[in-house]
Amino acid sequence: MKTFDLRVKQLLDGDLSLADLPPELRAEGEAALRLLAAVDRTPVTLSPALDARVMAVVRQHATKSPAQRAWRWLNTPRDLELRLRVRPWTVWAGALAAAAALALLLGRAAPAPVPGVQARGGTHDSVLVRFVLYAPGAHRVAVAGTFNQWDRGAALLVPAGTSGVWTTTLALPIGQHQYAFVVDGARWVSDPGAPAVDDGFGRRNSVVAVTAQGAHL
Amino acid sequence: MRTIGLVLTLVLSSTLTGALDAQDVRPRLDGRVSPEVQRAVQRIAADAAAQGLPIDPLVQKAIEGAAKGVPGDRVIAAVRALAGRLGQSMAAVREGGVSTPGGDIVEGGADALNAGLTGREVSDLVRVSQPPQDPTLTLRVAATLAALGVPAKQVLTLLQGLISDGRSQSDLLGLPGQVQTGVAQGATPAQAAAGLARAAGGLPPGRNPDWVPPGQRKPKNPHKP
Repeated sequence: MKTFDLRVKQLLDGDLSLADLPPELRAEGEAALRLLAAVDRTPVTLSPALDARVMAVVRQHATKSPAQRAWRWLNTPRDLELRLRVRPWTVWAGALAAAAALALLLGRAAPAPVPGVQARGGTHDSVLVRFVLYAPGAHRVAVAGTFNQWDRGAALLVPAGTSGVWTTTLALPIGQHQYAFVVDGARWVSDPGAPAVDDGFGRRNSVVAVTAQGAHL
Repeated sequence: MRTIGLVLTLVLSSTLTGALDAQDVRPRLDGRVSPEVQRAVQRIAADAAAQGLPIDPLVQKAIEGAAKGVPGDRVIAAVRALAGRLGQSMAAVREGGVSTPGGDIVEGGADALNAGLTGREVSDLVRVSQPPQDPTLTLRVAATLAALGVPAKQVLTLLQGLISDGRSQSDLLGLPGQVQTGVAQGATPAQAAAGLARAAGGLPPGRNPDWVPPGQRKPKNPHKP
């Protein structure tokens, strides 16, 4: 694993700019920035059918007991050939009677809309966004921002092996969000891979715009 | 008489709305900021609400300052400065042709101002963002580009050019990422943005063919001694 100079790490943390580096370190700094920019930040978009597919597999594996296997045998659809000899007018009469019964049932059983139970799932109003920080030597990294009331403990990143890369994926509501990483509970670090704005307190906040099409840094 | 009554009703309802909004602020700040900051932010929020400004960004800024361990007086100063930017943004957005701006567009304008755009540039961007363009989105993209280091004038000409060229909103949203890619490949933010303007099919409206964006050196004319 390549070890960067301490000042290059400060550059990655946003503490220094490229211009602050001595000339002999600028090439290394630019290489580190390119490496960081190459990290895949594509938002993860899950198929809406994923839940159904996962649950189908779970159900398949869950039916292990003899009783369940018997029930499954009984419940599994099979091809069955049934031949009937009927007069055409009886088919039409039966179809009309079924349609009338269905119309009656739907008319009576249409439920009133219940506030609070509409499908307003996170997948419609939010987008999964992956956060990545290169912080070798850190013991704890979190991301705090306008999406979690700047809570330092609400969204912890997990280390990806021993490479010093920390990552997490969050469902963010659509809109523009400001955020920063919190290293070891005390050090606020802006995302070197995202645009940053003055936070009004002498530091920089990173910015991510979340739209229905994905996240845009 | 009827006019006076109408004006009084409007003033009273505006004040009452402000007072109610300010009351909403208190529970959101409870336990998150010091009592001194809480009182000051309530006052600032009440003034802001009375002017029709969004108060959520003010609450967020106070919470952010406390979370970062910033001293109370600096938190109050930052919240007050943000309220000022929101007011400036409101005026600029109205100047751009939106008579009753919502909270989102005002906040977007304040972000653009914070990133270095002027009130006039915010007005110009709102004016150029006719439907189907969303002026809030335009302002946010402008703020992000400016935050990336693209000079404000160049942000304005780039966005004006793309919008008048009929580009979609998702084209605009992709701009910051493209500028970042250019920067990662060694270009300055201004050069990366100029490259995007060229790739988009030409120069911003009203520019000569030899136009180069601010911050860039004109190429030497080989025919000139």
